[in-house]
Amino acid sequence: MVCTGKKMKDLSNDIVLECRGISHRFGSNRVLHDVNLKIIRGEIVSLVGPSGCGKSTLLRSIVGTHPPREGEVIVTASGEKTGRVVKGPGRDRGIVYQQYSIFPFLTAQENVAIGLMLDQTSIPFRLSRRLRWSKIRKQHLDEAATLLKKLKLGAAINKYPHQMSGGMRQRVAVAQALILKPEILLLDEPFGALDEATREELQRMLLTLYLENCQARQRGESAPYTIFIVTHELNEAIYVGDRVTALSQYWNWKESGFTSCPGATVVYNRVAPVYLPDEARDFAAFISQRQEIREAAFLPGRLQSCQEFNRFWDEVRRGSGKGVLK
Amino acid sequence: MLRQPIKTRSTVVLGVVSVLIMFAAYTVISNWQHEKNPDDTTIPTWNQIGDGVKKAVEVNPRSGERWVLVDMEATGTRLFLGLLVGIIGALTLGVLMGCFSTVEAFFIVPLSLLAKVPPTAALAVFFVLVGTDTEMYIAMIAFGIMPILAQSIYLSVRDVPAELLYKAYTIGASTGEVIWNIIVRAILPQIIDTIRLQIGPAMVFLIAAEMVCGDVGFGYRIRLQSRLLNMNVVYFYLALLAAFGFAIDYGLRLIQKICCPWYVQGKR
Repeated sequence: MVCTGKKMKDLSNDIVLECRGISHRFGSNRVLHDVNLKIIRGEIVSLVGPSGCGKSTLLRSIVGTHPPREGEVIVTASGEKTGRVVKGPGRDRGIVYQQYSIFPFLTAQENVAIGLMLDQTSIPFRLSRRLRWSKIRKQHLDEAATLLKKLKLGAAINKYPHQMSGGMRQRVAVAQALILKPEILLLDEPFGALDEATREELQRMLLTLYLENCQARQRGESAPYTIFIVTHELNEAIYVGDRVTALSQYWNWKESGFTSCPGATVVYNRVAPVYLPDEARDFAAFISQRQEIREAAFLPGRLQSCQEFNRFWDEVRRGSGKGVLK
Repeated sequence: MLRQPIKTRSTVVLGVVSVLIMFAAYTVISNWQHEKNPDDTTIPTWNQIGDGVKKAVEVNPRSGERWVLVDMEATGTRLFLGLLVGIIGALTLGVLMGCFSTVEAFFIVPLSLLAKVPPTAALAVFFVLVGTDTEMYIAMIAFGIMPILAQSIYLSVRDVPAELLYKAYTIGASTGEVIWNIIVRAILPQIIDTIRLQIGPAMVFLIAAEMVCGDVGFGYRIRLQSRLLNMNVVYFYLALLAAFGFAIDYGLRLIQKICCPWYVQGKR
């Protein structure tokens, strides 16, 4: 099925996050070179790449804690035409790190409610309007409890992080970020420290969110969750993402006139199969895509043009995207 | 093998035995001494110690006061105020140094230099600067514990994972909220631990200052009575000091348990 021109225009008009010409270096060590990336609202985009290629550096640029040397990150809120350039961390971009994402001194419920507290109230308000604040606080806690139950954490509500398993902690971290309804949720190797079974559960949780996106789209509404996930697991990248993007320093920079590698750039950008949360996970089906990603990003000896596997927008135009890209 | 666990009962028995040995040894030594010299007061018998307690607790005929009460009031007030000022100062300084590189760069050198000056040696400086009233004792304790307390708080702040702070910013926290609602909350148990460790030094500084220029207080009484070789009073006062320190330590541990239920020793 070929997409109509109007549909394509819809998708490319609904960009949540755009990285425009991002380059970064630490001293003389050049890490990122001219990274360009546009993420459509409702997508789950996986970012992979060899270790040390700058995946986390790119993510930090997007979070805003470590601005890039060159280029800019633009976030567009739902329903708005023009985006804002990222100047620092802000509540429109939620983040979940591999660890230290939730506050050890708060219970699960408080950890989720703290976002509402920090976002909606201020220290002077909380100190001077005690009564009003305690009422609002109760609403916050209720809202947090509802979200935790939705993410299957009803039993953990009053637990402190050190009393939870790694998988529960990451679920709470996702809830904590989602409660403020960020434009995009950034995940930095979120499941890296978990065992395989827990990992799969959490991947399914992401797919549940994605399913909600598809359903919202079908109703003609805006998709509520956009997710950008950094991972080193190719299977995970293909399984949870509707698109896989790879950063790599192994590309043909000589062709672009450089005498040494100017840093990693986007070398792979293609649609990925979309799975329902309850569908069987079959990594064998990913072999050819995994092989292709390896060729594009992981072979130091293979320096192809960075355009060779950069076919995402063509694919969307031809209608081979699934899920929200349909 | 090392660190083999033993039964709880054995632990208790060993603890009781050690205390009993201590008292028994003292009794033996004291008896020996009194065989040689029945009027000895340097190693008083239990009876003499009883007299000393009486002397300290009963109304003194000459001054018309009970020594223990006036000394406790004086020393307690000085210690409390000194600790309060020292802790508030150290907390402010430590947190600001841990949070802002400018403050850190400005204070790090003076702080590490001052931390090396023994406050008891600098007694004369406080004497000159703030006189000999309560202020001097407060200054003595506050400046005595502040460098180490501030440094320790500053290091705890630096140890808070950066991810937690970034996280707070992405859920709408202002810088003030990151400091107050995240950093201070996160390091509270470590702050209490550091204060516990600084109670001992604070008492050393205070007693030393009282010995030199007090006219009331534990240090003053101990110095006076030891000059008169009234060791029975001195030992009673030492026991009171130990109980005092123990009570403060216990109180702080209780506060830590109540305020930081999430804090598990050795686990974050």
